[in-house]
Amino acid sequence: MLSALLVMAALAVVIGGALGYAAVRFRVEGDPLVDKIDAILPQTQCGQCGFPGCKPYATAIAGGEAEINQCPPGGEEGIRKLADLLGREFKPLNAENGVEKPKSVAVIDENTCIGCTLCIQACPVDAIAGAAKQMHTVVDPLCTGCELCIAPCPVDCITMEPVGETVDTWKWHYPVIPIKTAA
Amino acid sequence: MSDSIQVEVLYAHPHKADLVKLRLPAGSTLQQAIEASGLLQKRPEIDLAINKLGVFGKLCKADTVLRERDRVEIYRPLIADPKEVRRKRAEDGKVMKKGGGDA
Repeated sequence: MLSALLVMAALAVVIGGALGYAAVRFRVEGDPLVDKIDAILPQTQCGQCGFPGCKPYATAIAGGEAEINQCPPGGEEGIRKLADLLGREFKPLNAENGVEKPKSVAVIDENTCIGCTLCIQACPVDAIAGAAKQMHTVVDPLCTGCELCIAPCPVDCITMEPVGETVDTWKWHYPVIPIKTAA
Repeated sequence: MSDSIQVEVLYAHPHKADLVKLRLPAGSTLQQAIEASGLLQKRPEIDLAINKLGVFGKLCKADTVLRERDRVEIYRPLIADPKEVRRKRAEDGKVMKKGGGDA
């Protein structure tokens, strides 16, 4: 009887110790899957997916609370990458979240801007430089094209301009061969 | 704590922004950051008597002490007169849609 008790107690101590050691030794910082998903997302922080930013959306995908087809800026390519990463089936973009547009940046019309700072407060990535009653300017390399600054502007001076093709953004196009009609 | 801070100095025009990353000793001021950025030489149109300064959208004095990861911004004056714009909008019978309401 006593020996049985001792054996059980010793087992509990040994296994408990092993578990405690493993918890410390193999500790995982954060959820690596969330980071992998977040790396695929375009980081526009536009909120079109219904979450307050790319990281919260990544967390929701990892937790199975969101579908992978809710990110319009990521587009079809982004959904394919997410499908590959998670081993899920590819789905077309959910039209409720918006449509895929060419990459654009916001441009402020300098002749109309009244320096009200409302667009600066709306910008999720601090891409607008300016202060009260000073000219507001969009910093192109920082702008993600999320369009969140357009609605707050009281004088409607912000427009979206598609980013032209540069050496950095150029992609190989599908060849188009015109078919001639036989004479 | 480290004794140097990393800051950025920004002078923006549409489609061409000068963003300079700097490492300065802790306790540096806005003025020192702007001098260290070399933007005064690169963009001679900057006149610190006209162009106001700030950090992340808030106007600041040139002797303000910077904090880690601050972005010093050199602003340009407005072209439109806010009062004139407001008067015009009132005449047209439009409402100011503060905060992005549907107006």
